Amino acid sequence: MTWWLVSFSRRGPARYLSHLDTSRVVQRTFARAGVPIALSQGMRPKPRLSLPLPLPVGAVGANEVAVVEVPEGVTATTETLKALRMASPPGFEALGIVDAGDRHPRPQPRAAEYTCVVDGDAGAIAAAVERYNDAEDAIRERVSPKGTRRLDLKKYAGDVVATPVDGGAQLGFTIHHRSDGAARPQEMIDLIAEWAEVDAVMRSLVRVRITWDHWPPDLRAGGGRS
Amino acid sequence: MTKLPPGFPDHSGDWPPDEIARLLARVTRPGRYAGGEFNTRVKPGARPRIVLSYPDVYEIGVSNPALQILYSHLNDATPASAERAYCPWPDMAGFMRSSGVPLWTLETFAPVSGCDLWGFTLPHELCYTNVLEMLDLAGVPLHAVERDGEHPIVLGGGPAVANPWPLAPFFDAFFVGEVEGHLDAIVAAMQLESREARLRALAAVPGVWMPGRSTGPAERQVFTGFSASQPVLRPVVPVMEAVHDRVVIEVMRGCTGGCRFCQAGMWYRPVRERPVDLVVEAADRLLDETGCDEVSLLSLSSCDYGGVAETLTRVRDLRPGLRVSLPSLRIDSAAESLAGFAADQRGSLTLAPEAGSQELRDAINKGVDETQFEEAVRATFESGFTGLKLYFMIGLPGETDEDVLGIARMAASAARLAKEISRGRARLSVSVSSYVPKAHTPFELEPFAGAETLRRRQQLVREAVPRGVRVAFHDVAASTVEATLARGGPGTDRLVEEAWRAGARFDGWSEHFDARHWQAAAAATHVGIGQPGVDRAYWRDAVEARLDQDFLEDELARSRDGELTEDCRDGACAACGVCGGEIAMDLLA
Repeated sequence: MTWWLVSFSRRGPARYLSHLDTSRVVQRTFARAGVPIALSQGMRPKPRLSLPLPLPVGAVGANEVAVVEVPEGVTATTETLKALRMASPPGFEALGIVDAGDRHPRPQPRAAEYTCVVDGDAGAIAAAVERYNDAEDAIRERVSPKGTRRLDLKKYAGDVVATPVDGGAQLGFTIHHRSDGAARPQEMIDLIAEWAEVDAVMRSLVRVRITWDHWPPDLRAGGGRS
Repeated sequence: MTKLPPGFPDHSGDWPPDEIARLLARVTRPGRYAGGEFNTRVKPGARPRIVLSYPDVYEIGVSNPALQILYSHLNDATPASAERAYCPWPDMAGFMRSSGVPLWTLETFAPVSGCDLWGFTLPHELCYTNVLEMLDLAGVPLHAVERDGEHPIVLGGGPAVANPWPLAPFFDAFFVGEVEGHLDAIVAAMQLESREARLRALAAVPGVWMPGRSTGPAERQVFTGFSASQPVLRPVVPVMEAVHDRVVIEVMRGCTGGCRFCQAGMWYRPVRERPVDLVVEAADRLLDETGCDEVSLLSLSSCDYGGVAETLTRVRDLRPGLRVSLPSLRIDSAAESLAGFAADQRGSLTLAPEAGSQELRDAINKGVDETQFEEAVRATFESGFTGLKLYFMIGLPGETDEDVLGIARMAASAARLAKEISRGRARLSVSVSSYVPKAHTPFELEPFAGAETLRRRQQLVREAVPRGVRVAFHDVAASTVEATLARGGPGTDRLVEEAWRAGARFDGWSEHFDARHWQAAAAATHVGIGQPGVDRAYWRDAVEARLDQDFLEDELARSRDGELTEDCRDGACAACGVCGGEIAMDLLA
């Protein structure tokens, strides 16, 4: 068996898909392109495919990664990449395939850079951003079926940059993934919007770049080698 | 950036438009409104521009095979462009209204209201308020008489058109029957300049009934070329999970089982079968085209399809691990059909005895006996299926409490077999729906059982079914509304409109159906809900279903006498009146 790291972008209408839907689209794209994915063992075999860092619903992903296992003898060529592109639904584009050999790569996200437009008074948004950058901590409560967890966003996200745009401001920030988890982009936006007293509508959220730990040696993410 | 295949929208940039992106950022499941499916067609500037709609949420509507047929044919074989719009979920509808953004299509994000023709497929009565919701969200006047050259012509089709009266004022026209053979004529009509010219040309298309214009009923159209026609080979492949997420191939149209309660069985006559080779080749191509790993052989009764065994085997052999499904199994041939399934795809199965006693099953022409039922249940569990759902109706004409208790007895018998064969691993459930008499069936003028009787009989079943068997019932109040609309005459449209104004939406969804909306509408319009009978068959003023009146009356008489009518596929013609001229059964040799 051979493992591939497939980089792809998700834009346009495709950005409104959930993580599971995105995963299924990648799987179906491989099937339409005639590129087999290895199946798991057992009564109900499943394709060996994972997306290590889920992309929020509504977010553009400029350079996402899928980890895919293909059967022995299937090779990644420029024709493979072309076939994947032709078989992709609008908004998805395969950017590159990196052959990681026969050892299962388990890349871990170290940091992800985001930009996002928030509607409302650009001055108020800039003031909220400044307050965030100056704050010692920024405590938010995350409510889930498992319970409520308090987390300090400042532990996970560095300074935020605000740039005025038509109708609001574009925020730029980096979320650091630590051993105890990570902040969510929505939590950052909710906080800034709350402090700026504007609507927390996540419009045009873009994950610009992801940096990875445990990337297989000698491979570069999204390098387009195929 | 990759060069896009011809016909693909370039959705890579700032898409969708900003005002829609603002709405998408606020709603649940925004993918419902964003399009972007594989095989979406966009034909910029093409005329006429036609919008196709299914009046339910995206996940339901995108799975509808009829819309796929129309979408493919209109886009690929006519000069028209066909786009799609489904009914926005209430959260989105609220945001659209508060922001003044009208309903858009998934292909171009352009307002629906700017199209030339807006076609709705109407599957059942409980989606009628959604039609009004969509018209209103699009900014199209609800009533056809209020529309002018600025508005699309609104055309209804699908099985619910069997009785178009409850929706008559909201549509400019209805198409009665199977439209495949008339799409070119409809497109040509829409290429004319004025609205009036278009309506006149549309009225001349066979099968079209126009409220207030047509002088007589429209004759139901039958697609005589079905057997030789190709299934849709380039379907829209949903990118978010849909209710039917698989390759669907219609292997047969029509059913001559002759179940006397079944509107579809009467409406889609005669039976026409596609050749096995054509079905298998289509399955092969569609697996490549969609990337799906399951094929469903669709029809009203796929076990009756002449090539079912060969098709199951050949399709299953197309790909390793491929799942093949049939929508339902016939009880009297379940054992042979079950043999066609691979051991690794045996999950759960549905069998439909429909009624709890032999007398009642004979009265509805189901003709299954308890020995056949037990054999089917036995075969199900012995084949390795781990779940079985039994489907029954209550409220059938002539039904007694004893018939209803028979449902519990059959469930007990199935539970005993499940325990004996599967040793506790199998799940058994029973679904009990309320029978609603429908137009153009032998029971069309039979009384509706009524809410009180249905609730009492539900309780009888609930108390008598053995422990450990899950029982689900349809909401009686929703069935009562369905019964009112299924045979409603002129004037019932006011009930639909008032219910919509009171807040009725997504009435087919138990979490959304609210009887109070309909009660308020009934009080405002003085249209009674759930009346047992109707005084005449109003639907015949609008629709000629090609069914001989003597046949329907004879079938009713035979039902009362408990006599079975043979399936005409087996040789004995029941003289239903459908065959004649070019219209005939088309069976595999």
